[in-house]
Amino acid sequence: MLSIKNLHASVEGKEILKGINLEIKDGEVHAIMGPNGSGKSTLSQVLAGNDAFEVTSGEVTLNGEDLLEKSTEERARDGVFLAFQYPVEIPGVSNLQFMRTAVNAMRHHNGEPEMNAAEFMKLAREVSKQVDLDPAFLKRGVNEGFSGGEKKRNEIMQALLLQPKLAILDETDSGLDIDALKVVADGVNALRSKDRAILMVTHYQRLLDHIVPDYVHVLAGGRIIKSGGRELALELEERGYGWLGIKDEATAASPAN
Amino acid sequence: MKPASTLSTAFLHPAGQALPEPLLALRRQRGAALVDMPLPTRKTENWKYSSKYLKLTDEMAISLPTAGKAGSALAVPGYKVVFNNGVMMPEASEYPDLEDILIQRFGDLSEAEASELAERLDSTLDNKTVQFAGVNSARFEDGLVIRLKPDAVLDQPLFIIHEVTADASGSAFPRIFVDAGRNSRITLVEEYISHGHEAVMVNAVTEFTLAEGANITNIRLSMDGDNVQHIGATGVLQQRSSRFESHCVGFGGPLRRHDLQVRLEGEGAECKLNGVVVTQGTQHYDNHTSIEHVAARCDSEETYRNIAADKSHAVFNGRIYIHQDAQKSNANMNNKNLLLTTGAEIDTKPELEIYADDVKCAHGATIGQLDEESLFYLVSRGIGRREANVLLTMAFINELVSQIPVEAVRETVQSRLNQFFEKAFQEA
Ligand SMILES: Nc1ncnc2c1ncn2[C@@H]1O[C@H](COP(=O)(O)OP(=O)(O)OP(=O)(O)O)[C@@H](O)[C@H]1O
Ligand SMILES: [Mg+2]
Repeated sequence: MLSIKNLHASVEGKEILKGINLEIKDGEVHAIMGPNGSGKSTLSQVLAGNDAFEVTSGEVTLNGEDLLEKSTEERARDGVFLAFQYPVEIPGVSNLQFMRTAVNAMRHHNGEPEMNAAEFMKLAREVSKQVDLDPAFLKRGVNEGFSGGEKKRNEIMQALLLQPKLAILDETDSGLDIDALKVVADGVNALRSKDRAILMVTHYQRLLDHIVPDYVHVLAGGRIIKSGGRELALELEERGYGWLGIKDEATAASPAN
Repeated sequence: MKPASTLSTAFLHPAGQALPEPLLALRRQRGAALVDMPLPTRKTENWKYSSKYLKLTDEMAISLPTAGKAGSALAVPGYKVVFNNGVMMPEASEYPDLEDILIQRFGDLSEAEASELAERLDSTLDNKTVQFAGVNSARFEDGLVIRLKPDAVLDQPLFIIHEVTADASGSAFPRIFVDAGRNSRITLVEEYISHGHEAVMVNAVTEFTLAEGANITNIRLSMDGDNVQHIGATGVLQQRSSRFESHCVGFGGPLRRHDLQVRLEGEGAECKLNGVVVTQGTQHYDNHTSIEHVAARCDSEETYRNIAADKSHAVFNGRIYIHQDAQKSNANMNNKNLLLTTGAEIDTKPELEIYADDVKCAHGATIGQLDEESLFYLVSRGIGRREANVLLTMAFINELVSQIPVEAVRETVQSRLNQFFEKAFQEA
């Protein structure tokens, strides 16, 4: 599904990703952990096509096709979905209008007929129930005034509507209470299928109790320094990052360079 | 050849004489006062950014002849009065004949009514800052006076369609006067549209006087064609506890100027002024508003948004003047501007003069561009860049468009905005 080879990326002249290698096969769930500022969000954003980040070398293919030469919207239409760590608030565009526009762009791309307002409303109500968001949120501006947890559920709602091939979840679990964590995890598990892959960035083992990953990677200083099975997450939970030869998460307030 | 420095006297000679004598006399008097009226230049403070767009030729001084039954095809959900080239078209108009709401064209007024009207015309506008209102007073060929008796309520919006059809250069001078009696209520929609390709000036004046408790909603759609230089003014005088709400939506042109002046003269009067302007290509639009708090305890709330694309130019000048006796005034002015390209220009200037000590007055003006993060969020969901631009641009004015209280008008505005979006973001 996704193949990342020796990916380097920088922002404002500062190199953040320093040679990432990662292979994700259909149906797999990969978790990425690592200290603050290690480049997890940068990797997520680069995959989604945010041109605030400059790819300086390396290659990324999605199902054999060069991902990096595609625009953000083309990537999305090819099935790349990023749940943002910090979803953007867009007052003046209703959540409903936003989601319908996105779903129809996707349907158009797939040669399917567009959904009219009534059809979409019905679908949106169902999916909002699935992530435990009151349908009243559909009428509000995109993420406008949503609490942290509501924003995360809104991201999962979009993933459920858009049915991506590759879902990248950037800390979709942070800031969630226990019930919301369960809701989000159920949503992600609903996405799980043999022809879909999931890459999730998290700081906490607790999410991985609900969504059991096939692989766990540690990203530090812009490189993946260790990979393993789900037991690696447990080990990190217990021992922190110190034993891997890098600063512990708690003490890594300043970015690891 | 040097451009003329004063208004050509050709602009001061009205054509038609089909008006009652008091109005003819008013016209002559105003015309005489404007001989040698200086044309605005860059040094004219209130035309600083816009004088370069004003291009009046002597051919444009001619009153455009009216074009038969124009305008009758326009469907509006309510009552309508159609003006063609500044002259009312009775056969195209449909409005009720009511005892407490009198809708009359100037030409149909009795001597006595006309002389009363002549006394009051121009009373709502400051002729020092709105020079071109005087030109309208010197030139109007016709006009409409709407008088609401106390407690009268018009049950549907009244649309006034100001249509310009030009086969040759010339001008039109539409004129409206609304006299709203105590506790009366009306919604008035003014729509400025045009056909034809000759260089034309539309010089329009609309005046409102609101007696105690009167309530007027005015929607003004400035949608004249690419050949039309539009210089319009709206004057409002408000007595005690009256309420005036205005929604001005303007699309750019070679020259677009609207002066909106409100005087809150009675205690507890309230005005709410919303404005939306969009310009593209090399278009221009200039809104000058003035709110004077003369009496105590009045509220004013003003929200204007400009969107400028390509190499266009939008101007907003908002003046708030709080007189010494206007204690407990509450004035809010907010102007936000969106530049869609780096070649576009927006000039915004709040002007506050406050002579009372116990007032609440807030103002804010910003100029910005579409937010990159929001744009990325939208396209990351598969939404095309062009559509994402449109969504965000609409988001900038949605709040104001959705407040327009007549659905048919909102639809008209939306379809004009869609035309704007068709041309904007073409590279995206
Ligand atoms: N737009 C930017 N401008 C400058 N520096 C940036 C920018 N975006 C990210 N960085 C820097 O890149 C580094 C990696 O940031 P990134 O957000 O990828 O970290 P992260 O691993 O997601 O951290 P966290 O766990 O805190 O979310 C940080 O040092 C950050 O300050
Ligand atoms: Mg991050």
